[in-house]
Amino acid sequence: MSDNKEILFKKLADSVVDMDEEEAVAISKEVIVQKYDAFEAIDKGLSAGMEKAGELFEEEEYFIPELLMCSDAMYAGLDILKPHIKIDKNEVKLKVVIGVVEGDTHDIGKNLVKIMLETSGFDVIDLGRDVPPSIFVERAKEENANIIALSTLMTTTMDNMAEVIRILDKQNIREKFKIMIGGGPISQGFADKIGADGYSVNAAEAVRLARKLVTVQL
Amino acid sequence: MDIFTQKERLLRVLNKEKVDRPPIICPGGMMNAAIVGVMNKTGHTLPEAHKDDKLMSLLSKDVHTHTGFENLGIPFCMTVEAEVLGSKVDFGTLACEPKIITEVFSSVSNVEFKNISKILKKGRVDTIIQAGYYLSKQNEDVPVIGSLTGPISTAASMVDPMTFLKELRKNKEGSHKVIDYVTDFLIEYAKLMIDNGVTVISIADPTATGEILGPKMFEEYAVRYLNKLIDGIHSSNVPVIVHICGKLNAVKNLLPNIKCNAISTDSLVNLRILKEEYPSLTTMGNLSTYLLEFGTTEKVASQTEKLLRDGINIISPACGLSTSSSLDNIYTFTKTVREGSVK
Repeated sequence: MSDNKEILFKKLADSVVDMDEEEAVAISKEVIVQKYDAFEAIDKGLSAGMEKAGELFEEEEYFIPELLMCSDAMYAGLDILKPHIKIDKNEVKLKVVIGVVEGDTHDIGKNLVKIMLETSGFDVIDLGRDVPPSIFVERAKEENANIIALSTLMTTTMDNMAEVIRILDKQNIREKFKIMIGGGPISQGFADKIGADGYSVNAAEAVRLARKLVTVQL
Repeated sequence: MDIFTQKERLLRVLNKEKVDRPPIICPGGMMNAAIVGVMNKTGHTLPEAHKDDKLMSLLSKDVHTHTGFENLGIPFCMTVEAEVLGSKVDFGTLACEPKIITEVFSSVSNVEFKNISKILKKGRVDTIIQAGYYLSKQNEDVPVIGSLTGPISTAASMVDPMTFLKELRKNKEGSHKVIDYVTDFLIEYAKLMIDNGVTVISIADPTATGEILGPKMFEEYAVRYLNKLIDGIHSSNVPVIVHICGKLNAVKNLLPNIKCNAISTDSLVNLRILKEEYPSLTTMGNLSTYLLEFGTTEKVASQTEKLLRDGINIISPACGLSTSSSLDNIYTFTKTVREGSVK
């Protein structure tokens, strides 16, 4: 019985790694029919698969198209399983406000980070692309977010990341949020220079960084 | 007195002939030097100059005069192609470049294939080719570089990029059809620029990187359609520069297969090592644009000297410049190359 469950979860993880949306849906339905725990299936199946996909991405086995297709399979399974999760009222999810800074409409990297954070249990508020610095601050306040995540692909817009931090400083609320940044032209050196709490080179790394930042915070 | 005019020097390098020193250029398009410091001096400003052929040519000339870059470059954005193909563009401000607001198609399967000669009459195509005409007539000794957004990036500015990237795998036939159509359009657009006097075509394709696509799709789509575009331009006897963004590790071995006359790279790439590994490449680059914005003139000069020592064939910025880059730094950059402190 429990063997069967483990095999099913493994198959679910494989369907994500194999970018097989239909298979992910079929197995998720099977999980429900068999009355296995939906949360456990998400954790040991879908999330585990996405984590593996992230590893393959870091190893340059998978690239962005593959990672996006894995995430489609993951979300398709999630749609089936989510309504069956037994809700734990005491559980507080950590919140991330994420977006691409103003002047830039390239959001592939941001979307990947969002997917990976959601997979890892974060509650992600996506502000989209071309977002003015003040909006990041306002929404982070409204949502009572733990982390503000800023992305850009263009060197021309990097200073808007610093602007978000300047606004937070001005309002004396810098300490309330952890700031993580990323994107093509961004480096650890730049993060240090503008006083961000962290930089990550890719989406998988971003999850580790977010976890680290909130552990320090809690 | 220089032995070669700016135009002769660039064309000779692109033709693998000997020159006195490398040219120092900033081609336009993604990599343009229409910075706030120049525009405030002359009053020929963006965003107006994106849509006005006379103003565009004046601004291009201002950049040449004040920065010391040895070419005239147009346009000042990467949105001309996507606009013509139907996407909505926000023209930005003096300091903020134009960008696509929404891609016109949600998937490669619903792209409308239009008659290319008809769409060439749309958007700002005429503005760009007129500006190219004025510039080439008035500046015979200066190369006029026409910039294109590459096939993959143009396709990803017309079709929602998240869907597009997946469809490169899921719907190969549909993807090829769309990129092929985009490439045909780019060839005809480039030919119009060339007919109006443009000396060199420069292609930047920031979505077509090894980091995004990986080697298989880089070869299947980027190399294939860049080469189709380059062949189309070469049929008019005009040389082509291709800029590849990001880290090259995953696709380095494919670079010699791209038929361009020079390859330009980001500052992350060590061009000296790349030249050693692939001696057939004519290299262009790659002074950090971060340095041009935030560095000191001393540091700019020393890094430029390093590029000269490394024997880079054409010196240029590594990527798109910030509109708030320092004019002093840019001038130091070009002056260091001109005066060639390295023998």
